[in-house]
This record gives sequence, structure tokens and C-alpha cells, in this order.
Amino acid sequence: MVAIELDGVTKRFDDVTAVSDLSLTVEEGEVFGFLGPNGAGKSTTINLLLDFVRPTAGRVSVLGHDAREESVAVRERTGVLPEGFDVYDRLTGRAHVEFAIDSKDADADPDAVLERVGLADAADRQAGGYSKGMRQRLALAMALVGDPDLLILDEPSSGLDPAGAKEMREIVLAEAERGTTVFFSSHILEQVEAVCDRVGILREGELVAVDSIEGLREASDADATLRVAVGSPVGDDVLDAVRDLDGVRHVERDGDDAVRVGCDSDAKTRVVSAIEERGVTVTDFTTEEASLEDLFLAYTEGDADVAAPVSDDADTTGADATDAGSDDADAADADSDDADAADADDDAETDDADSTPAEGEVRR
Amino acid sequence: MSWQAVARKEFRDAIRSRWLHGSTLFFALFLGGAAALFFGVLLGPESRQVSNLFGFFASLGVFSFSFPGLLALVLGFVALSTSYGSITEERESGSVKLLLSLPNSRLDVVVGKFLGRSAVVVAALLVGFLATFVVLVATGTRLEILRFSKQIVLTWLLGTAFVSVGLCISALADSNREATLATMGLYLVFAVLWGSISEGIPKLLNYAAEQVGMSVAELTRVKIGVFLKYLNPLKTYETLAAQAYYPVAQARLVSTTFGEQAVLAPVLQGNPPFYFSGWFLFVVLLAWIVLPAAVGYWAFERADL
Repeated sequence: MVAIELDGVTKRFDDVTAVSDLSLTVEEGEVFGFLGPNGAGKSTTINLLLDFVRPTAGRVSVLGHDAREESVAVRERTGVLPEGFDVYDRLTGRAHVEFAIDSKDADADPDAVLERVGLADAADRQAGGYSKGMRQRLALAMALVGDPDLLILDEPSSGLDPAGAKEMREIVLAEAERGTTVFFSSHILEQVEAVCDRVGILREGELVAVDSIEGLREASDADATLRVAVGSPVGDDVLDAVRDLDGVRHVERDGDDAVRVGCDSDAKTRVVSAIEERGVTVTDFTTEEASLEDLFLAYTEGDADVAAPVSDDADTTGADATDAGSDDADAADADSDDADAADADDDAETDDADSTPAEGEVRR
Repeated sequence: MSWQAVARKEFRDAIRSRWLHGSTLFFALFLGGAAALFFGVLLGPESRQVSNLFGFFASLGVFSFSFPGLLALVLGFVALSTSYGSITEERESGSVKLLLSLPNSRLDVVVGKFLGRSAVVVAALLVGFLATFVVLVATGTRLEILRFSKQIVLTWLLGTAFVSVGLCISALADSNREATLATMGLYLVFAVLWGSISEGIPKLLNYAAEQVGMSVAELTRVKIGVFLKYLNPLKTYETLAAQAYYPVAQARLVSTTFGEQAVLAPVLQGNPPFYFSGWFLFVVLLAWIVLPAAVGYWAFERADL
């Protein structure tokens, strides 16, 4: 089943083309991240899904309904956290949720919903006195009413502090677990990376890439470069042997005491073993990997071919925050860094996902 | 249909607004105060009956004054103020995105807002009438309950008509500022300019006819002028309210000039033409409730947020 289908959609405002010939399909049950810099057309696309704005050309269908003609049917099964919204200042938090329950004709307990987003204490306060983050939580609470089949979140963690962003992410993951399709936009890469099955990158109204994060990494040739420090100079035979390994693309000497290997992340262990098997002492190795931010910038600013910039230290990628619920995220075990070959094996994608120290930052 | 949800939200929101509290207090003081002044102080016990205030009409020829007319002016202002921002404010703050991300259709929104805001105005108005009622009973005034009820219903309808007009402006305007200016302009037209315009149009027609060697008969001119006058909801209300207390012929002349009265009075005696009949003007009043809201829906339905 297809949850969202955009077919050749163009939206022009007076003299600006916000979205241009956009075609995109999101499957049911998927967590889809919609990435792009500010002004790329993310919100316009979301507004098209919700019939807030109408396409100049093309067709939009959501949950099997035409987004224009059957918008109410779409919104009956969709929870939305809009961008640039505001609350009703004079209504309490509970009144907001009650309004959502009323509108959706749902059978829900307002207090339970507010509890879930951490607003139970503020339920009886007028929402006009809420902070930005609380307003964001309130809108999420309204979105969650009635257990929607589709969640559309536009910049969900804007205004949230790191703890709030983490809670937001946990709620998104819990919903995804339940089988809800999640479509959310962000200009912050780590949020997307942490929860998404697939991402689409939007630039100047055009979709420039759709893939899993790993897929994108490969597509842009931006994956790991392994630098192996060796005790003595290596011969051509060693280089040839390494070159023949699966997942290795290129090999070169880096001075007398090191070798640089361009390879898939999961080939790193094999490369190190192959060198050691040929009697060369490996004194150290480091992974140099393109950060996702570099990848993102490559797509949104220049062309993807000149991507592949590398960062100095692999652990700056934040790749270990990769989503546990993701099928495609397996290869993202690129956390390993200093030396220990055994560690390089470790599939570090899952358990510590939530222990990533900071939200939305990339150190470079 | 979730217009009930929208209407309830609108009402819950507005009931907490200072505007509502202010206008409720105002109506209570205005209606109750006027009743207290008239029936408690000015009028002797023998003339204490509702029609002496609520059916008070005085025509001074070029200028006419009536208590229902004054009430209509005030109510029109309050009702417009209650509704002209109902859509533009939500668009400007962004709360419209919450409203429409829920399964509310645009029709639900327009209907719900119309009903919710009307309820606010009517609630304020009814409190005012309640205060009046207390005064009437306390002063031992003759209630003339049937006539008075008719007028209350008409007042209610007038309030909703202006809510509808305000809602229409709100749907058509691009910004709150634009809606404010349009509301002020329109109020000026209803309250001040309409009369001159409707007197001017037949004169203009006559002038045009004279240019081609014809003319428009005086009676026709007056009929057109007075007919146009009563299309103004303020005047529609005024003459219908008059009809609650007086015969049709008299009620139809409440906001006419002496000149118009001289020409029109014989026509209205006996069998007045249908377009001066009470039921026709009642339909006009209902049209002022339905049409602006319908135009507002038409515009809002097509708008990008």
C-alpha cells in the first residue's frame, strides 16, 4: 500500500516556483525523512499533502485519497504537526486536545494524550502562556489523537531542547513501531538519520535524491576511507591482495608507513586482516568518513560528484545514532575509530542509539 | 461534519475574550439603562409600555431617529467587530494550520465560525435583553410580550447578519489589516452613506434618461430610492421592528424623508407592492445572513493558506 504519492507536482506562487515537477512515493509503514535547506519547498510539499495549498500541476494522493477532493478523509487518518502554526491563546491545553478529539470524532482521554507528550501538568493553563516547545508538544498531542495511520511532522523538533527533541524522536519511533507511516521534514540531518528508513533531499523545489542514508552515502561515493598505519613499507603484492578484496575500490600508499584504502564500511576488518596476514604489522588504523552533513551539503549546494569530502575522525559522523527500527541502516556501523579491529566488527547501530550525547550537532 | 467541533471551539475561545465581556456589559448597560431611564424616570406610569422605547420612532423629515435604529447601529458594530478577524487572525497567527490539519473541511470552518461567533453576539445581546426584562418588571411596564419577542428575534437575526458580513470580509481579506480597513469602510457605508447612495441612484437614472429625451416618473424614482434604502440590513431591521408595533404603511415610512412620505404614503395604503411587504424584507434580512457567509465560503474554499 502506498501512503503518499506525488506525481509530477508543481506549485507556483505568483512569481516563485516552490515545488517543481516533484514525484515521490512513500510506502505504508515507512519512516520517511524529508530533507532540505530552508526554503527548499519542504513545507510547501507538506501543505500540498494537507490541501493547505493546491498544486499548479500534478496529482497528490494520500492514503489512497485525492489530497484535494478528499482532504477530509485524508485528515481523518492523519496526524499533523504543522510548521509555523500557533495555538489558541485563550484555550487551555486540554481544550485544544478536546477540540482535536471532537474534530476527529475520536474516543480518547485528553489527559492521557497530554501525559504522553509531557504536558499533563500544564493541561489547565491557557496555551497562550506556553513556551515554543510546549506549543510544539501540544500540537503533537493533537496530532496523536485517534491513533493516526499517517503522521506528518513539519520540522518537529524546532523549538525543542535536546531532551524534548529526544522525546519527540521516541514518540515518532513508537508510532512507527505501531505501523504508522511517518513523513517528516527537517533541515537538521541527525534527526532524520536517527529515525528514518529513507530520506528524500529537496533542493530549490526539486527532489535531488531519494534513498536510504547508506544508499545516499554510496551513491555519492562518500563512504569510508581507511588509513592503516604500518610498521614497515608494504610491497605491491600486499596492495594487490587488498585491492582484490570485496568492497574495496582503491588502494594507495600514504608515505612509507601507511596505506589508504577506499572501501565499504563492512570491508574494513577484512582489509586489516589481509594486511596482517601478509606479515605487515598494523600499528594503528583510522576511518575517515564523509559526515552526513557533508553529504547533505553536497546534495543541496553543489553536485553530488564533488561530495566525498572526508572528516578527520570517523566518530564525528554521529552514525551510531542510526535508527533501530530501520532496515537499511545496518551498514551504518561506522562508529569504530581507533584501532581495535574487533571493534570494527561490532554492529553498533542499535542499542546505544539513544545515548548519543547531543542532538543535531555535527562536530567537524 | 465537524462544524459542531469548530463552533464549540470558537465559542469557548470567544467566551474568554475581553471583547465579549465588554460587549455583554455594554448591551446590559445600554438596553437595561435605556429601559431604566425611560420607564423609571422619564415616562409616567400610564405610558410605561415597551413600545414607547423599543418602538420609538421619530421622523424629522431629512433626519430620522429611532431606538431600534440606534440599537441596530450599535449591534452592527459589535457583530462586525466580533467576526471580521475570525479567519484573518487565524491565518496570521498560524492557528488555522491546527484548525485545518484536523479533519475539518473548509465548509465546517465557515459554518462553525459563523455559528460560534453568532452565539457570542447573541449571548451578549440576550444578556442585554435580560437586563431590560428585569427593569421592565421592576418598573411595572406593560410588556407587550408578543411584539417585544418579535423584535428580539429580529435583533438576533440582525446580529447574525453582521457576523456573516464580517466573516465574509475575513475570508476575502489577505491580512488582518485589510480586513480591519474593509470593515471600517463597510460600516461607514451601512451607517452613513447608504441613504445618500440610494437617493442618488434614481436621480442618476433620471439624469441618464433625460439625456435621451425621456424621464423617470417621480413615483418610480421614489420607489426605487426607498426600495434601495431598505436593502441596507440596518434599515431592513428598523422597518421590520417598526412593523412589530405599527401597521405596515406606517412601518415602511420610518426612514424616509418628508418628500418620499408624501409620494409613497398613498401607495402603501391598502395593498402595498410586494417589494415593500414585510415578508419580502424579512427575506432580505435572511439573505444578509446567508449570502455573505456563502461568498466567504466560496473565497476561503479557493484560497491557499
